[in-house]
Amino acid sequence: MTDVLVIGAGFCGLYAAIAASKRNARVTLVASGHGGLSISHGCIDVWSSSAPSRALSRLKKTHPYRLAGKDALNTALETLDLISHDADYPFIGTLSKPTILPTAFGAIHTTAYAPLSLAQTGIQKNIPISIASIAGLRDFFPTLLSKNLEMNGYTVRRTMQLPLPGPVPQRDLYATDIAQRFADSSNRERISRLWRPRLAGVDRLGLPAVLGLHHSQRVFRSVQDLLGVELFEIPTPPPSLPGLRLENMLSDTAIKMGVDIILGSPAAGRIDHSGKNKRVSGVSLQTAGGEQNLDAHSVILATGGLLHGGLVAGRNGNIVESVFNLPVEYAESHQEWLKPSPFDEQPYEKYGLLVNSRMQPIDLHGDPIFENLFAAGGIIAGADRQIEGSRQGIDIATAQRAVEAALE
Amino acid sequence: MIRDFLAADQCLKCNICTASCPVAKVTDLFLGPKAVGPQILRFRHPDYALPNVGEEWCSSCGTCSLVCPHDVPVAEMIARMKERPTRKVPWRDRIISRPEVIGRFASRITPLANSLLKSPRLRSALEKYLGISSKAILPALARTNFKKALREYYVRTPNRLEEISRLTVGYFHGCSTNYFEPRIGELAIAILERLGLYVFLPPQVCCGLPLQSNGLFDAARKLATQNIKYLEPFLRERIPIIGTSPSCTLAFKHNYRAILGIDTEESRLLANSTYDFFEFILHFMPDELFRIKFRGVAARALYHPPCQLRSHGIGTPALTILREIPELELEVSESACCGTAGTYGMKSERYEVAYSVGENLFRKAITMDADFIMSDSETCRWWISKHTNLPAYHPLEILARSMGIV
Amino acid sequence: MPSLSTELLVVGAGATGLGIAWDACLRGLKVVVVDQSGIAQGTSGRYHGLLHSGGRYAVSDPDTARECAAENAILRRIAPHAIEDTGGLYVSLDTDPPDYVPEWFGACQAIGIDVDRLSHEDVRRREPSLTTDISQAFLLNDGALDSFDLLRSLAGSIRQIGGQIWLHHQLRGFVIENNRIVAAQVFSEIEQDTILIGADIVVNSTGPWADQIAALADIHIPITHSRGTLVAIANRLTHTVIHRCRPPKDGDAIVPNWSAMVIGTTDIPVASAEELSIDPAEIDFLLHQGEELIPGVSNRRALRAWSGIRPLYNPGQRNSDTTRDVSRSHVLINHAVTDGISGFLSVFGGKLTTFRLMAEYAVDFVAKEFDIADECSTKSVPIDPQRKNYFILPSRAERLNQTGEERNDSVICECEIVTRSQIEAALQSGNHSSLDDLRRETRLGMGPCQAGFCAVRASAMAYASDEAQNALSDLVSFIERRWRGTLPLAWGPSMRQMAFTRRLYLELLDIQQLLGDDS
Repeated sequence: MTDVLVIGAGFCGLYAAIAASKRNARVTLVASGHGGLSISHGCIDVWSSSAPSRALSRLKKTHPYRLAGKDALNTALETLDLISHDADYPFIGTLSKPTILPTAFGAIHTTAYAPLSLAQTGIQKNIPISIASIAGLRDFFPTLLSKNLEMNGYTVRRTMQLPLPGPVPQRDLYATDIAQRFADSSNRERISRLWRPRLAGVDRLGLPAVLGLHHSQRVFRSVQDLLGVELFEIPTPPPSLPGLRLENMLSDTAIKMGVDIILGSPAAGRIDHSGKNKRVSGVSLQTAGGEQNLDAHSVILATGGLLHGGLVAGRNGNIVESVFNLPVEYAESHQEWLKPSPFDEQPYEKYGLLVNSRMQPIDLHGDPIFENLFAAGGIIAGADRQIEGSRQGIDIATAQRAVEAALE
Repeated sequence: MIRDFLAADQCLKCNICTASCPVAKVTDLFLGPKAVGPQILRFRHPDYALPNVGEEWCSSCGTCSLVCPHDVPVAEMIARMKERPTRKVPWRDRIISRPEVIGRFASRITPLANSLLKSPRLRSALEKYLGISSKAILPALARTNFKKALREYYVRTPNRLEEISRLTVGYFHGCSTNYFEPRIGELAIAILERLGLYVFLPPQVCCGLPLQSNGLFDAARKLATQNIKYLEPFLRERIPIIGTSPSCTLAFKHNYRAILGIDTEESRLLANSTYDFFEFILHFMPDELFRIKFRGVAARALYHPPCQLRSHGIGTPALTILREIPELELEVSESACCGTAGTYGMKSERYEVAYSVGENLFRKAITMDADFIMSDSETCRWWISKHTNLPAYHPLEILARSMGIV
Repeated sequence: MPSLSTELLVVGAGATGLGIAWDACLRGLKVVVVDQSGIAQGTSGRYHGLLHSGGRYAVSDPDTARECAAENAILRRIAPHAIEDTGGLYVSLDTDPPDYVPEWFGACQAIGIDVDRLSHEDVRRREPSLTTDISQAFLLNDGALDSFDLLRSLAGSIRQIGGQIWLHHQLRGFVIENNRIVAAQVFSEIEQDTILIGADIVVNSTGPWADQIAALADIHIPITHSRGTLVAIANRLTHTVIHRCRPPKDGDAIVPNWSAMVIGTTDIPVASAEELSIDPAEIDFLLHQGEELIPGVSNRRALRAWSGIRPLYNPGQRNSDTTRDVSRSHVLINHAVTDGISGFLSVFGGKLTTFRLMAEYAVDFVAKEFDIADECSTKSVPIDPQRKNYFILPSRAERLNQTGEERNDSVICECEIVTRSQIEAALQSGNHSSLDDLRRETRLGMGPCQAGFCAVRASAMAYASDEAQNALSDLVSFIERRWRGTLPLAWGPSMRQMAFTRRLYLELLDIQQLLGDDS
């Protein structure tokens, strides 16, 4: 019997597993697939626009940040800081002053903490930069990027395409393909020799985030030295390497700490009918060979929202929570779920489970539905994390609070 | 194909599978699982052949299906695309996909076979004329095969087991244990007996997985049907089947239904009754297991969970148990696949790619100064051992050492 | 005001207008075609994709059936590249009126439409996803007709023989002298100015806008508008066109279309050509109908829904609840006779399958006015002589095999396998002014991810030459249209896809940050 069972291997679930493990709990993490880190920018968004602390105190009492509490957020950020230093994958930034980063589209992304390779130089309006793409990489467009950056008031002095040594690639390349080419040090030297002459007069160069998947800090530092320019990476459309690096960092840490990870099997909740308290006993996993039961003292549901299947929207206009069939807060009329433009605020983003300040899903009376079941991350109702720019912050704050409550 | 469409409905094109594919990462000759699986499916037509889109580069490691958050069985779709009529399958593939035939033939001339396999001239001839890479891992045959050595464990029908009061399990040894590594089977049985189980060997044939991964579905189905027929009487008596080779047990649990299309009450019964060795002892005998005082094994070791094991969806039960062994300094491989993926790495045209897939893993083993490697799958063991010059053991061998059995 | 003159001015670059222009050019006339937007952006671009065998109308409208049968053979000869030879299965379900079948069979024979009876095993083997509740099944030679491919190549051929096609030029008014139209005022969206085009004859082939265009000459055409909605299912569960063998009703035809499958259609009276927005009840209805033919289809992934407006000539001006009774056959109005304004024809209605015939009638009339003796030759002149074969779906995959040392192409839309060189060719053709035009020409963004990845990739090509502000607003409007088309289908994997797309655009790319206050 495991102490804490975490369901979901996204940023939220992985963090929860590590946080529980740090408190000496036996932790098992199950997930039917990977989470959404490979489609994310790999930064920690806490609150996009103003300084978070001011914004947080003005939030509704039912907002996940208020429910989790400021201490949970701070503890989680400190823990993440420790984890990232141990893994040689440091983040920079502070809560009080947002970090400004360019996106692959040339728009501006405001975040609280970003990995070193993205944020070390920072972009400033009076300092011209250059942007380069890499031959064969499909999803990076320096002209588009720089035209949009200029609309934002930044100066792009040069754009260019840098070649890769070796034969012509036989298909379009993803960021992960190019990262592989940077893994080997003699290859790095070869590539740098090819690039250096093209970078005459370039001080600050923005590249797509391709500089290594494993040991990416080492790769980044080495390429920067070899090229002799200040570099910064820009996350690409999926697969996004900064997201993958973060995912690897968290799952490696979890494994090192002894977390049992079971990937690939969907979970169905099991309720404990034996005692008189309302408890869950664990889950039943749909493995390749059939059902296998997993028992746990506490369960943390970190299954995400509509995108990754924590919530499922049926043909009949219902939204169901997919593991324990918990009641979901959503608009009954299907017409209300979505607004006509994807750039509008979307009501569906706020759908999810109602929880109390111990992260326990609650019923209509406000009582916890199961005393040992907790929820964290996107499965919780009440926040449009896209508009707020709060995705990762809510992930870890709620995960931290859920872990604390589960182990109390 | 309809069934594939139903599954492809779920694909969001998010590229999580492509990002995790060990082969796509190292070669641009493979378009990636998304492209070759759910994407190209929409262009298939029953009456017209699809142009080759490089699906033969897929090593069938199963990582794509495993990581997909939307339950798209990508690997299975690609595996089904590989089905070909026999006449289109090269002789080499028809040979290497039949380890039982090779084993049966070669074990008649074991010493000769073993020295021939070591001959560089023969190996380069095999590469030149058949396309078996001269660097492929062709293991040495055991002096006496397992089935013969342990024939007193053989039980043909369940009525022979009626008087047994202990929990009874059947052991599926597979071709590798039978012809190449009987020691693993012996130790497996010893451990199970030590835990109080009654172990026997049911009638069995090769699981057929190498045939399936080489596109020879009809031949694979014949073996599958044979195994189901042999094992069914035992399964109806609720006797579980345990295997030490995760590829064999995956075939029973999953491939027979999901890829070969044998979806019957019997095949489902087989799937539900099959267990990986560590899965079984962890789930069914935890008290007996953890009552044992494990002896220390003072060593640094790298454990590599095979891709076939990951596809079971049971996590890494061997790791849970290995963690309990005192003095054992364990590190876990972060690689999804060691590269060989069964017979893939044996093929001369695939060897370079297979090697590149495993490079990080080999490097890790060497730089961490490991004393040995552990992996549940035989082809992983032979392959990693060859490329690191380190001994490679099935984790149950280390467990046996720690239990004082060896 | 700049001006030019021509012999025949054709308003509307859909099937009707381009068909007329083609026939007229072949007979030696000077032709200019104008359209307020791009090629096939009206009803021609929004239809079901069906190349009729005529079987559907054998009982209810034998004349139309006969025309369809003849034109089916002709189109196969002159434009095979735009046709997929799917065949058409006419199935009578156990619940359908059995006495319709012999009547229908007899009617087909009388018209000369070939009908093959199929056994249950044949049907199962051919289309395993069909319901088993089939009492009888027949195979006819329906096909899947790609109107964009057809009309795009037609436009190219028209230009090649000297016809002019001016897209994004909107007709704003007529110059009438002595009760004759002598010129048209046309506004160019790109140049932002008005041009006067003098013409001897003006043909109004604007489909559902025909009444609005005629009104510019103070002429009233009694047109009833009917909306037909269609749903695209993400995968082809059948490779054959499927009809119900019963009196034609709504929603009982399923047509494979490239990599998708289309269920249609409905018949909702609407007030004008602009009422395209879809009622969710129509979607439910279509999926329900589809379910009767393909069990389980209503739970399959649906890509998007769209609608087209039919113009129906209603000279009796009855306000009927179902517009299905109003004439759907082609209409040619000589306004000199009906309204006293000469040099002006209106041609509209009909089916895409018979567009060539409708054009033939119209140009026969026009030729007489010009005293041209040339006969119609469109029956035999191939529209794109280089492309001689039927469309075969798996051949799209060949684009993935452009490899080797010379490889420099790129797959821009992975879902539909659209390459960069294809897009560049489309950009050169002069038919495009927006990403949406590119979509129509190449199928960019028409797959399951609905342009999630390829919108920005294609847009980058426009940014290279264009001003950033224009490129950005075009991208935004393209993305918004893709989103709106999926809205009525937002459940299951389509809902997830929308959530994914939004993640990509708003969190990875932060496109909305550039929209500022206009969003």
